Amino acid sequence: MKRPHLNQALVVAALPILAGSGLAWADCEATAGARRVEGRDVVLAFKTRPAKIKVGELFAVDVTVCPKKGTVKGVAVDASMPEHKHGMNYKPTVKKNATEGFTATGMMFHMPGRWQFAFEVDSTAGRERLLDTVAVD
Amino acid sequence: MAGVAADDSAFSSAEKQAIARHGPWPQPVLRDPSNRGSGNADAIALGRALFFDARLSVKGDMACATCHQPARGLADGRDRAQGRERLDRNTPGLWNVGLAHWFGWDGAADSLWSFALRPILNSLELGATPAHVAKVLGGDPAYACLRRNAFGKAAATKASDDQMMVDAAKALAAFMETLNSGKSPFDELHDVLARGDAAAVAQYPADARRGLRIFAGRGNCAVCHFGPNFSNGEFHEIGIPYLLGAGRVDAGRQGGIKAVRADKFNLLGAFSDDASRASGSRTRHVTENHANFGQFKVPSLRNVELTAPYMHNGKLATLRDVVHHYSELSEDRLHQDGEALLKPLRLTDAEADDLVAFLRTLTSRQFPAVAPPLKPTCEPRK
Ligand code: HEC
Ligand code: HEC
Repeated sequence: MKRPHLNQALVVAALPILAGSGLAWADCEATAGARRVEGRDVVLAFKTRPAKIKVGELFAVDVTVCPKKGTVKGVAVDASMPEHKHGMNYKPTVKKNATEGFTATGMMFHMPGRWQFAFEVDSTAGRERLLDTVAVD
Repeated sequence: MAGVAADDSAFSSAEKQAIARHGPWPQPVLRDPSNRGSGNADAIALGRALFFDARLSVKGDMACATCHQPARGLADGRDRAQGRERLDRNTPGLWNVGLAHWFGWDGAADSLWSFALRPILNSLELGATPAHVAKVLGGDPAYACLRRNAFGKAAATKASDDQMMVDAAKALAAFMETLNSGKSPFDELHDVLARGDAAAVAQYPADARRGLRIFAGRGNCAVCHFGPNFSNGEFHEIGIPYLLGAGRVDAGRQGGIKAVRADKFNLLGAFSDDASRASGSRTRHVTENHANFGQFKVPSLRNVELTAPYMHNGKLATLRDVVHHYSELSEDRLHQDGEALLKPLRLTDAEADDLVAFLRTLTSRQFPAVAPPLKPTCEPRK
């Protein structure tokens, strides 16, 4: 699908299966409680569930990806502690939601400190890795 | 550092925050959705009786309480447990075990009840078979009655031996969930600090206060020994040797992950009572990596004073030895770069004593009575 000029709204209408990824990038402007990361081809907004990440407890992440161009094919979610040089002990699964965006379940931060989310976005414009660091205590 | 006298002064707000993270205590033990006996009085009564009942062992001479002794913090005081032979690991105390998510030093079980099956079946421990457990449960009228009350009439009439054994394990788990220790001097400090009662804060001993500052500060201890139960519930490697001699090694978490995945009694399997399987999320998502080799569960430090010797292999005899280990840690021994936060602390003797004094304030002042019950009684329910 190499039609970067195609109106996103039309993509949504024509291909409901891509509804989750067919947002305009304005939809990723800071919404209440969401964090926003801007990349080359996409803007991404995410929220954790529960909102406060508790050390040693599983949580989920709701991710909305708004392409600046192209359409989003998928997202992989991971996280690590850059200072400790280790990742998570759990491997999240990412599912595309029926209505909007993606949800990663099975995340766990097992230590307090700085954790870096890594979102690997695959879109028709290419692959891109977006990072965002949060403090957990 | 302005010397000992200044260390006795009021806690800074950062220190208060660090202390607040280790409370409040007690923590609620949530019902285990995978165990329909969890929180049920009859299941607890059955579990309590079974815990002390040597008939559960194939030779009639060993019970859970043989190793998990109430007078020894529900451990046994040995470096490594003594079953039919000497086992490879140290017997952990069981106080507050209901707050954990993984069980065993390697987390080879994902529920308290599935862990309980291990000593029941292990030929070096109780050495029982499902048929043997079924006979013990069915053969004692009080047990049969408690089991029916707790787990339902249908389950009582046409249960397989496996199911009977799982019910016994679930009753044991329901009992172990009640093993919650009361407040310790540290918790009293936590509470009076929260209330801002300066006079009461001053009751907390000065040496323990200095030790607490090391624990929460440059010792980095609270990173792993995190939260109200002083454990993040996960697995780390702190440089305790895992060679068992004669070419054998204890692979720790690496073996634990393999074991829990292969276990037909895990939370994703048919014996879980949680129809949603939501309680199996950790098991579903747990992932293996090379660092798991030689990692062991971060033990809770509550009541740690009662359960010497220490570590998965009981290699360290006293709390002073443990503190010495962290103080003189050999960085070459830590095989993974993951634990960059572990650095030899090079504590002075006085600081080491302070850290031990702090650890001793984690001993509860009250424990529920855990005595072998008189013969349990049971009124059949409709
Ligand atoms: C021969 C001594 C012995 C006997 C008997 C024994 N245990 Fe243990 N227990 C141990 C040892 C050793 C461990 C650590 C095992 C491991 O890490 O694999 C342990 C671990 C545990 C744990 C995990 C605690 C934690 O913090 O992860 C539980 C729960 C437990 N035992 C319950 C029981 C029950 C219930 C019984 C009776 C059915 C029992 N044990 C019988 C020695 C014993
Ligand atoms: C990187 C995580 C980590 C840090 C940091 C850490 N610990 Fe531990 N601790 C563990 C693990 C894992 C074990 C069990 C290791 C084993 O058995 O091989 C343990 C065991 C212990 C034990 C023995 C408990 C028992 O029941 O056997 C004590 C006491 C203890 N730690 C105190 C401390 C103190 C004090 C500090 C700070 C100086 C500290 N820990 C820092 C992970 C950590």
